[in-house]
Amino acid sequence: MTTKVASVDEVVAVVDDGSHVALTGFAITRNAVAVAHSLIRAGRRRLRMSQVIAGMETDLLAAAGCVERITYSGGSLDRFGQLSGVNRGITSGSIVANEYSSLALTLRFHAAALGLPYLPARTMLGSDLLEPLLGSGDVRMAEDPFEGGTVVELSPLQPDVTFVHANVADELGNAQVSGPTWALRDTALAARTVVVTCEELVPVGTIDPDQVMLPAVVVHAVAVVPRGAHPTAVHKCYDYDRGHLQEYVQAARESDEAHREYLDKYVYGVDDYAGYLDLVGQGR
Amino acid sequence: MLAVAAASLVRDGDVAVVGLGLPQVAAVLAKRTHAPDATLLLEIGVFEPVPNESAMGIADPRLWVGSTAFGSMLDVLGAMLHGGRVTLGLLGALEVDADGSLNSTAVPTPGGGVRRFNGSGGANDIASCADRVLVVMQHHPRKFVENLHFLTSPGHRVRGRPRHDVGLHGHGTAAVVTDRAIIDIGEAGAVLTSVHPGQDPAAVIADTPIPLIEPAAGAAETAAPTDTELSLIRQELDPHGWYTAA
Repeated sequence: MTTKVASVDEVVAVVDDGSHVALTGFAITRNAVAVAHSLIRAGRRRLRMSQVIAGMETDLLAAAGCVERITYSGGSLDRFGQLSGVNRGITSGSIVANEYSSLALTLRFHAAALGLPYLPARTMLGSDLLEPLLGSGDVRMAEDPFEGGTVVELSPLQPDVTFVHANVADELGNAQVSGPTWALRDTALAARTVVVTCEELVPVGTIDPDQVMLPAVVVHAVAVVPRGAHPTAVHKCYDYDRGHLQEYVQAARESDEAHREYLDKYVYGVDDYAGYLDLVGQGR
Repeated sequence: MLAVAAASLVRDGDVAVVGLGLPQVAAVLAKRTHAPDATLLLEIGVFEPVPNESAMGIADPRLWVGSTAFGSMLDVLGAMLHGGRVTLGLLGALEVDADGSLNSTAVPTPGGGVRRFNGSGGANDIASCADRVLVVMQHHPRKFVENLHFLTSPGHRVRGRPRHDVGLHGHGTAAVVTDRAIIDIGEAGAVLTSVHPGQDPAAVIADTPIPLIEPAAGAAETAAPTDTELSLIRQELDPHGWYTAA
């Protein structure tokens, strides 16, 4: 068996300008921050992002001008604040947003994961979410052929690559995720390519099969990035960094310039993610 | 008072999906008092959390403490909610209309721009699929509107149409609970069922700029919080007063 382990800068090289990239953090938890930093430093542009609930990782990419389109069901940094980078991009027109409900978007990923032509559901009906999505061609209204009544038909959503930040993985790609998993698994299984970053690499055979969220056969690459979600939380590994999140939100909310200064200091101003961790006092 | 009033409308045995913020405090309060057999779920994939301190939101692991099971969104919003197992949704909102439809996406700013907030998340799914929904929010005139800036989540009716006409089941929004009043949403429209102790019904109506029906006998007075409820909120459920200080 060949190892799939590489550095985070190497594993993000599967992303090109214009790629469809899905992320699997949720607000202030389990964000692939190391991946976002690496994509920003690599200067990726025109990314089409999709994510059920966006968080800091996506906000960083938006603020850095990497994002052209976002397909999501909303997002925030919980009580710390809103996604100022994403929201400013949408308001100014530099980012096009396709907004769903969380279940509808999860079902689009689930349909792609299973290779289904579409999945029907009774949600978003009557809401202002539905009209622009009907216009996009990704969602249709239809009659339930069995019981009657109106349903929405949700087309599959297949990212080019999905990044997952796991607690533990082995060199073949078996990955363990602790805590609630929102749409992480569906978002990963929907993608052509799945890349895992992890807090800790363990020997093959030591992860209890009960605990494997993503089996090696669907995972293409693994990067070991301790504290890879900082300043967001990773269940059973570390809490969110309250002070750093507050500093980020303050800069992000203030202005584009302040947001850029944050990026200059913490992303462009360091050589790699280890440099960022040293800068924020999280290095080893 | 808001959390207490909202909690009073949670029934023992309810299976509830709970949105972030005030709804959490209300739901946990109900469970700790009159509704011990209520089951609380978080859309992120958390079953029956017993949080013992204020959390920064649904993605804060502090809120997951004491849970009986972790799963996925497909488990909670899919199998539980869309699967018809959820009797109650508890949601916050930026704006609400007389049908009980909600906006949690964006509001206009005084300068003519738009300020964006969290978006739907699971709120639209909860409003679409739960048997009944309680809206829990601060009472501010700008939050009650005749026309929502954005209709994120459908109510008991949807822009005046019965929700069944757009393909949805259930009752939808059953009540809007604020820090001043309980407004029931039903066939008759929005009804000022009760005002909280110390509130003047006429003043509440003046601060509620949607068509609001006053019962023939006048609005009742909401039951005052008990000492047990107050100490639970202040000492355990929201000790920092993030959600309930008023």
